[in-house]
Amino acid sequence: MKLTRRKLAAALLAPAAAAQTPQPAADPVQAARDRIKANGDILAKVDVPMDVEPAFQFKA
Amino acid sequence: MAAIGDDLFFATIPEINARLKAKEISAEELTRAFLDRLQQYGPRYNALALLLRQEALRKARDVDQDLKRERFRGALQGIPYGAKDLISYAGQPTTWGAKPYAAQVFDYNATVIDKLDDVGSIITAKLSMVELAGGGGYTRASASLTGPGLNPWDRTRWSGGSSSGPAAAVAAGLVPFAIGSETSGSIVTPASFCGVTALRPTYGLVSRHGAMALSWTLDKLGPFARSAEDCGLILQTIAGKDSNDPGSAGKSFYYTPQYARPMKELKIAYAAVDFTDRAEPPARAAFATALEAVKASGVQLVEAKLPVFPYGPTLSLILNAEMGSIFEPLITSGRVDELADPPQIAGLKASLSVPAKDYLKAMRVRRLIQREFARFFSEYDAILTPGRPGPAVAANADLDAPGYQPPAGTAPGFQGIIQAGNLAGLPALVLPCGFADNLPVALQVVGLPFSENQLLAIGREFQSRTDWHRRRPKVG
Repeated sequence: MKLTRRKLAAALLAPAAAAQTPQPAADPVQAARDRIKANGDILAKVDVPMDVEPAFQFKA
Repeated sequence: MAAIGDDLFFATIPEINARLKAKEISAEELTRAFLDRLQQYGPRYNALALLLRQEALRKARDVDQDLKRERFRGALQGIPYGAKDLISYAGQPTTWGAKPYAAQVFDYNATVIDKLDDVGSIITAKLSMVELAGGGGYTRASASLTGPGLNPWDRTRWSGGSSSGPAAAVAAGLVPFAIGSETSGSIVTPASFCGVTALRPTYGLVSRHGAMALSWTLDKLGPFARSAEDCGLILQTIAGKDSNDPGSAGKSFYYTPQYARPMKELKIAYAAVDFTDRAEPPARAAFATALEAVKASGVQLVEAKLPVFPYGPTLSLILNAEMGSIFEPLITSGRVDELADPPQIAGLKASLSVPAKDYLKAMRVRRLIQREFARFFSEYDAILTPGRPGPAVAANADLDAPGYQPPAGTAPGFQGIIQAGNLAGLPALVLPCGFADNLPVALQVVGLPFSENQLLAIGREFQSRTDWHRRRPKVG
């Protein structure tokens, strides 16, 4: 296979590009905390009127 | 006395009860036969947590004395059953499926155990489960003190979780019925995978006193059985007000099939896409046939949409916040590291980090969800979906791995109904409806709170037209 200068440059840059990409947390507890935070961020976007109280005691 | 054949191991509650009352068989003979079967085959499916032989035989002899004197206590009298190992039985280990609790013994019975005892049902076994009901987010079926739950239809497949043992034991004819629990999917999933009928009751209808708490506002106990009628008979016994359960709705349940509305009056919401593009390809033929059977019953099936909410994040935040509080002693003591599943350990540790504002927001969104479903059910009598999109996954599968993905742009259908139903406290009935790759698949009928009689009527009608609930795997 002929290695062009473009392919060579891409190959050399790949590790650097990968290092710049945010990686999932290696620590599984941190990853789980990140998921909790992401869920909180999603709910933060839900508009809930002031008079809607939390479902305590929850009753179906 | 007649010999006990395979038919009896797969008989419904009224069928067994009739043979007991006719004295064709004694409660002791029946119980001994089920105990032997549990002992022989329970470990084959990793379904057995603890056999209660002495207690069961003693109780069975008491029942025989009652039957001899014609003291009849209802359809469940003399019927053996099993309980998920998060339900306390006094004086015997209740492990919650988890190593840190392997030696845990309570000195009192759960309310459901006492209620079943009062009508002469006979507890024969504690049945296996995913450790701590899987609240931390497990990724392997092996996340259990008793090993991966194996499916009686194919032991290379998972029996589902977290009520693995109750589903597998009923499917394999090791008990006529079992009591399991659901926080989010733990009844619906294993019942669907194992091909048994099961009911997730309305939140608060069945006392959780004496059962492990995973999430106070989400936990429910419910039956796995052979038919919708069996579920009705069991629910009538275990439902009811309990001052020991702060979540108790204070309501009783009376199984009243005689007052069921005619099927043609019922308007049932569904999304066709759930049974086609969103279903796994091998399951589509079974779902199509099942839909035809539902339509033939005369109900009106109407295309509808699930109200749009972030169900998954809402449920996850509530579950994590409540679980973190419940298991804080386990987590901070470090004993959480004794659990079998590393992601579950990580999930439990992380659960201590849920901000109060996020929990409160989730509980407020939940209120909106409840209101929306109240509106939804003013228009429809029930929702019909597949129990799961396809059959049981491999017992050694990574449960986090993406499964079947529908084509891009496919309508959402009622995806998220398990989380939605649990957030709103809705009851759900699981009905086996056929096979895919020689494994069971099932329908799920969801209704408004306290509409169990309506759901059971739909289930009875479906099961009068099909025999999927009577199919049995080759055991042994």
